[in-house]
Amino acid sequence: MLRYITYRSLVAVFLVWIVVTLVFLLLHLVPGDPAEVLLSQGSTAADPQAVANLRDRLGLNDPLWLQYAHHIGGILTGDLGTSFRDGAPVAGQIVQRLPRTLEVIVTAALIAVLLGVPAGTLAAIRAGGWIDNVISFLSSLALSTPVFVVGSVVILIFAQELRLVPAGGYVPFAVDPARHILLLLMPAGTVALALWAVVARMSRGSVLDVLERDYVRTARAKGLKRRRILKRHVVRNAMIPVLTVLGLEMGTLIGGTVLVEFVFNWPGLSGYLVSAVDARDYPEVVGIVMVISILFVLLNLVVDIVYAVLDPRISLTR
Amino acid sequence: MRKLILPVSILAVILALVVLAPVLPLADERAMDIPHRFAGPSMAHWLGQDEFGRDVLTRLIYGARASLSIAIGSALAAALIGTALGLLGGYFRGIVELFTVRAAEIILCLPPLLLALLVVTIFGAGFWPLILALTLLYTPNYARVVYAATLQVRALDFVTAQRALGTHPLKIVLRTMLPNVLPPLVVQISLVIASAIVIESGLSFLGLGVVPPTPSWGLMIRAARGAMEQAPLLLLWPSVALAGTILTFNLLCDRLQSVLDPRAVPAGGAIWLRRRRTTPIAPRIAPDQVERDHAPADLLSVAGLTISLDRPGGIGSGMELVRGVNLGLRTGETLALVGESGSGKTLTSLAVTGLLPDVLKITAGTAAYRRRDGELRDLIAEDEDGHRQLRGDEISMVFQDASAALNPVHRIGEQLTEVILAHRAIGRAAAKREAVALLGRVGIPDAERRARAYPHELSGGQRQRAMIAIAVANRPKLLLADEPTTALDPTIQAQILALIADLKRESPEMGVVFVTHNLAVVAEIADRVCVMYAGQVVEEGPVAKVFARPRHPYTVALIGSVPEGDAERLVAIPGAIPAPGHMPPGCSFAPRCDHAVAACRKAPPPEFWPEPDRRTRCLRFEEVT
Amino acid sequence: MTGTPLVEADRLSRNFPMRTGLFGRHRDVWAVRDVSLAVQKGETVGVVGESGCGKSTLGRMVLGLESPSAGAIRFEGRDLSSVAGAERRRLARRMQMVFQDPFGSLDPRRSVGAQIADGLRVHRIVAAGEVDAEVARLIDVVGLQKNAAGRRPHEFSGGQRQRIAVARALATRPDFIVADEPVSALDVSIQAQVVNLLADLRRDLGLTMLFIAHDLHVVRHLSTRAVVMYLGRIVEEGPSEKVFGAPAHPYTRALLAATPSISARKVDEEAVLAGELPSPANPPSGCAFRTRCPLASDECAAAVPDLAPYESGWKVRCIKSGPSQRRGDL
Repeated sequence: MLRYITYRSLVAVFLVWIVVTLVFLLLHLVPGDPAEVLLSQGSTAADPQAVANLRDRLGLNDPLWLQYAHHIGGILTGDLGTSFRDGAPVAGQIVQRLPRTLEVIVTAALIAVLLGVPAGTLAAIRAGGWIDNVISFLSSLALSTPVFVVGSVVILIFAQELRLVPAGGYVPFAVDPARHILLLLMPAGTVALALWAVVARMSRGSVLDVLERDYVRTARAKGLKRRRILKRHVVRNAMIPVLTVLGLEMGTLIGGTVLVEFVFNWPGLSGYLVSAVDARDYPEVVGIVMVISILFVLLNLVVDIVYAVLDPRISLTR
Repeated sequence: MRKLILPVSILAVILALVVLAPVLPLADERAMDIPHRFAGPSMAHWLGQDEFGRDVLTRLIYGARASLSIAIGSALAAALIGTALGLLGGYFRGIVELFTVRAAEIILCLPPLLLALLVVTIFGAGFWPLILALTLLYTPNYARVVYAATLQVRALDFVTAQRALGTHPLKIVLRTMLPNVLPPLVVQISLVIASAIVIESGLSFLGLGVVPPTPSWGLMIRAARGAMEQAPLLLLWPSVALAGTILTFNLLCDRLQSVLDPRAVPAGGAIWLRRRRTTPIAPRIAPDQVERDHAPADLLSVAGLTISLDRPGGIGSGMELVRGVNLGLRTGETLALVGESGSGKTLTSLAVTGLLPDVLKITAGTAAYRRRDGELRDLIAEDEDGHRQLRGDEISMVFQDASAALNPVHRIGEQLTEVILAHRAIGRAAAKREAVALLGRVGIPDAERRARAYPHELSGGQRQRAMIAIAVANRPKLLLADEPTTALDPTIQAQILALIADLKRESPEMGVVFVTHNLAVVAEIADRVCVMYAGQVVEEGPVAKVFARPRHPYTVALIGSVPEGDAERLVAIPGAIPAPGHMPPGCSFAPRCDHAVAACRKAPPPEFWPEPDRRTRCLRFEEVT
Repeated sequence: MTGTPLVEADRLSRNFPMRTGLFGRHRDVWAVRDVSLAVQKGETVGVVGESGCGKSTLGRMVLGLESPSAGAIRFEGRDLSSVAGAERRRLARRMQMVFQDPFGSLDPRRSVGAQIADGLRVHRIVAAGEVDAEVARLIDVVGLQKNAAGRRPHEFSGGQRQRIAVARALATRPDFIVADEPVSALDVSIQAQVVNLLADLRRDLGLTMLFIAHDLHVVRHLSTRAVVMYLGRIVEEGPSEKVFGAPAHPYTRALLAATPSISARKVDEEAVLAGELPSPANPPSGCAFRTRCPLASDECAAAVPDLAPYESGWKVRCIKSGPSQRRGDL
């Protein structure tokens, strides 16, 4: 087990390196001069002086290997450069905003799993019945409605029409805990909806699949009580593929936060990213993309480890 | 195929609107009408006008044009590249795999939306950057899916056969591999289109996708948000269009999956799990044939057992898979149920324990069983709770494939302790000690340590031993073993047979029903044998007598088909077992029988009793041998 | 037995590298080790052994479907590794295979006729216009109904599919066929049909065959010579009648004792072989069978015994080889 975790962690470190290199390559292998590309707006050509300045600031005049070394070195020392827009260090902004984004992600994942697994299991047990149909319908709907649509509609109904909640925003937990949670639940719940649908559908399919397995028949042949079979032999085993899907959905989850933070005006990392892309603030974009991608790799590492805990067969292979 | 009609026709309408948009009598999608901004629905503008007074309906349709051409275009481009990468990587493996599939997978290290944002940062917003971003994004998805399917197909023998034939490798990839990986590919395409629409509209919503004034659903929602107070409906239209389109593609994907994958999960879940009883108890029938049973079956007496397919409205519902089976088991006896696949031998044993699959139903018969406390119970009439009390305690089962029958995520010891605790009021610690002792008893070396192992850590033989330990943990009166040695190698099979014989010596009271297709195994372990064919018992009797002088032509042929002895040619029964829905009117073996006469084909033969302890379902049993 | 054998395996080995643990201590798992085998024209050589003994890997290597890690395969004296590309594919015409799984061995998406015709077309066995007639002839040879050509594999039962697979293998008019457990997935009565078909074809077409199976009775019935494998090595090789009649290697004896028989025989529970197959990743030193062998002694651990001639045409890899005379010593 420990061995497996070490192994997966090393793989994660490797993946982080790949991500960092990938971002570097994407910027430097783009045809044309990145500085020129960045500064040109539509058909207007960039001012040559500005391009030269930018090349200098980006270190584009250095040989490629030196640029790469700077890139890696900067990440290792936590120096992600300074923003074009305000000249502030990018890392500082990220440190401040990262916890808020994590909060949304973790809350959303928890909501999705805690509500999705029972819903899917229930639907599977009652497959073909009305509960199954209702859950299937709801999950198809949730799956098909993009988060920003859900978010906008939530604001329209609950904030605009019913005036039950504010239209978004952020209050630190220390200032007003209740309001913080209320404001958190809106973006988190919105992201959770799609993930809930994925978890519920996967749980349903997986439970149905496990119910057909020989070991469930063995459990019945042992004369165990229904509850015990369901808990120890059905749901326990069915969770393994659900977890795989959860891992695969991490990317969507992170993408979802980009949109909901924008919709609900939540000052997290992702909202920062959108404004950075909009302003084409190079160092900011690179810094945030890198941090989020590392976060992505780490979340997958967590999934992998939970996976090994759930499925003893895993730690042996690989 | 019928299932596809709904999503395909909706999509056809959407696509027709999109393609025909320029020739439809629509307003100009960019013509502004500032005085009438935020005007509600009217005859001229069915869905109203937006913040610049433009016609919302027109913009919705033109928005679909942008969204769909980006989504479908990139989905197809990615499909083409990804499929090529996946096929080549999966078929040739090695270094090719590294440069195709693995290389593509690097992209998956970045969350999808982020990659798209990166591309937009570099190239700016617009139609082509979006296509590029989405193609880049989805190529690894296809590569992965096709790669996985390729690996699966590649391992199949028909691909090896092509190689053995000397077919050119590229021809194999195109002619043999590609058609066989197509189903998952098609499903993936519909999935990706839906997902691409989501990302495209999300980017446009953020103002980083399609550039205004080109209409796009994402942009429309973005604009409507700002005008929520004046015109809430403006938010609704594009939201509905967007969600509806994605829903249709998702529906298409689901339907495709169920059409292309015939192994679709049967609807119905698990009836046994529901508290309320949903299947009516089979009517008890008078066991009229049993009276002729000369052998007093004091442990278990099955009479007239009939099992049918129960799929209301489904194909072949009501088809009888087991037909009027009678059999009896005495205390301490080993009865072999022997037959080929489809003979109903396994179903018969499952029916006794109430473990039949949900699609099967017992439509007639009784199974009288004498409990430990002396009470006579009809096992067929028992409900799940009634069975539960007996199963694992008085009546237990050993299944064929122990690696599938043991739960992979629990330790062997736990799985054994569980059955002890389910039926006996002893402490957990005592149960654990007993579990270890049992594992030792069934011949697992180092039982203390092995109890902590997971099933996959044991060898096939040891897993079957553990399975047997679970079955005998509570000293059952009746042990049903369903092909317990079929998957094992000869030397391990011999060990397991010896173990069963040993356990029987230890508990001489225990009755064993041993289901097998192997006549030689029957000869070595059973006291009596029931030969089954096409859902019926065709012959029954003591093993020595049946093998020495079979009284049914099927038994004769079965024995003759075993390649022992010096015969130059084996006895091969011509033809195949009739399908359950297509039983001949007379004796079900008649079409393949050398001895069949006209009477055989007219009506099903009754049971005959050539000797007091033997029976056969053959009119000509006297002449057979 | 003179002249060049049709197929010859020369010190054939195949290993699969297996990584144990974190930083890859590479360890070789030998599926087949040092197997030499000559198959003369017209012979049927049966290969028996339990799962993991390497018999299937051997069969696939002989056909060139898997490449050996060491050793060579010679077809009519030509080393297979020395021919490649189109020439190698031409040679493929002469060697064909029949597989175990009747469901996986046929492409579910193509008609039976098209699959049988593949071989005819690839190697231009007959003119394009005569392909259909030849397919019909082959279908008739294996005893299927004439209309079979136009149907898809799923319309056939296991036994019929195995006939189709045989027809496909025969299409290229091969000299040599490797049959890898061709009947073990079939029901007993159907098994007999296919065994009879193979026996007839061998006689009528003069086929040379390598017949791989785990069922001793089937191998004994079909083959003229038998090869017994254990953990990747041949432990006994000789005329079928002798090997199964009076086995000289203790493993062959144990295998024979473990195989149930329909004819009444006294089951000697003491003769049941104890223990299980050792892990191929970590085989015992010396004779691989010694951990389960009733005759084993210290000398058996010292070195891998040679596959030594026992009688003419009969070789055994055991330092204590002989008929069961030593049983009494126990």
